[in-house]
Amino acid sequence: MTVLDTIPEKLGSEELWVDKGGVQWLNPGAMTVRELAKAMNALHARFITITAYQLPKDEGLRLEYHWDLDGQLLGFPFKLEGNKIESIFDLCEAVDWIERETHEGFSVEFTGREYEPLLLREGDTTGVNLREEKK
Amino acid sequence: MSYKIPMGPYHPALEEPYKLDLICEGETVTDAKLHIGFNFRGIEHLAETRNYIQVIALMERVCGICSNIHTLTLCQAMEGLTGLTPPPRAKYIRVVVAELERLHSHVLWAGIAAKLMGFKTMFMTCFELREKVMDVLQAISGNRVNYSMNRIGGVNRDIEDTQAVLKMVEALEAEMLRTVIPIFTTSTTARSRCAAIGTLTTEKAVSLGVVGPVARASGVPQDLRRAAPYAAYEEMEFNVPVEQDGDVRARLMVRALEIMESCSILRQALTKMPSGELHTGTEKFNFITGTATSRVEAPRGEVMYSVSWKEGSRNPARVHVRTPTFVNMPAIRWMVLGQRLADTPLIQASIDPCYSCTDR
Repeated sequence: MTVLDTIPEKLGSEELWVDKGGVQWLNPGAMTVRELAKAMNALHARFITITAYQLPKDEGLRLEYHWDLDGQLLGFPFKLEGNKIESIFDLCEAVDWIERETHEGFSVEFTGREYEPLLLREGDTTGVNLREEKK
Repeated sequence: MSYKIPMGPYHPALEEPYKLDLICEGETVTDAKLHIGFNFRGIEHLAETRNYIQVIALMERVCGICSNIHTLTLCQAMEGLTGLTPPPRAKYIRVVVAELERLHSHVLWAGIAAKLMGFKTMFMTCFELREKVMDVLQAISGNRVNYSMNRIGGVNRDIEDTQAVLKMVEALEAEMLRTVIPIFTTSTTARSRCAAIGTLTTEKAVSLGVVGPVARASGVPQDLRRAAPYAAYEEMEFNVPVEQDGDVRARLMVRALEIMESCSILRQALTKMPSGELHTGTEKFNFITGTATSRVEAPRGEVMYSVSWKEGSRNPARVHVRTPTFVNMPAIRWMVLGQRLADTPLIQASIDPCYSCTDR
């Protein structure tokens, strides 16, 4: 049994890893992103990035969180309810800039943290990567 | 009394815009705040309006130094969505061009670092060496910045005269051993300007998730060429230089040693290069619906591309780029704390920042 095989159980998940597109994907199920971040910290996994996707029509947004574990890229997709998700900045400081960039690009609100402008300037409208201009 | 010194957006040392607000007590830096975004071009959003050929040309322009790495990573991701595997010769050519790019990037950085140390003779030496690499890249691709080498399923051009590249590798290696490495390691000027300056501890490097030479200079032995080999790296033998001190000198040493390792990889790739096709063919590509990800060890560290496609579409639904400087740059705040104001330009330069990559 590899370290990877033990992770779903440690995360309390009944899902299995899916190897797709160069990533080992695990559906987080009921797990929150903060629980996931704590579990990744315990495994000494290296945070890589968050990729935001605007889903077709009015289906909202999906965030994909990536960690590296000994050269293996792990992916965890989170479908957003509205445009909010908990910040993991206090658990993983490497996430700071990408949460700020995702906020500016896709108007995602990472709750529990404060923002300063990153790529945009104070007062600029967020959501510059969204397909429709934000009203 | 503390005071704030705004450094930038016109940087005193590097010809790209970003801003650092330095809070000082006398000559000592007590805090720093970084401001980026002066180069923000919305390239990721623009990529959604380009077809699968145009998007390669667009992403090559994310960075003017590691342009090849961006197309390599993008093409590898798109190969994941088309089910194509490049032929063996194409994989070797990808390794050769990637290492040539690492060479010219590291030598360029060594020259700039020398200039910031007040060591202009070394700056000239490094730039003369870099020209040799640039000449080879130009001979291979016809270009000095955007080489247009990568395509989905392989490469666009062959390397016909491998002996000419080997000759350059030998000349570069000899000059590195004769002048650059001895001077950087023994010169009093280099030592006094770099040793114990801008230290990033191993713990902080891990916590911030820094990558590439910045991580390796802080004792974190990560290198995707070893940990998750791509192209033909699995067939190459090389060392991953790691230093423990985490200071500017360690970052300098890691890059200098990496130049030697790149020369070794180039020699192996050029002598072992198999014959055969350069790409999988000219048939129309069939993209499957989904997302594919690719990671590559760029000169500055790990680059990651996530590419999403919808079957039948000519354009990507999403292209996300995570560049190495984007994760290395926040470390500057920790590197300058407690340092002398006069050392901050060199400390900032020591991560080999690329603002163009960072802002996209």
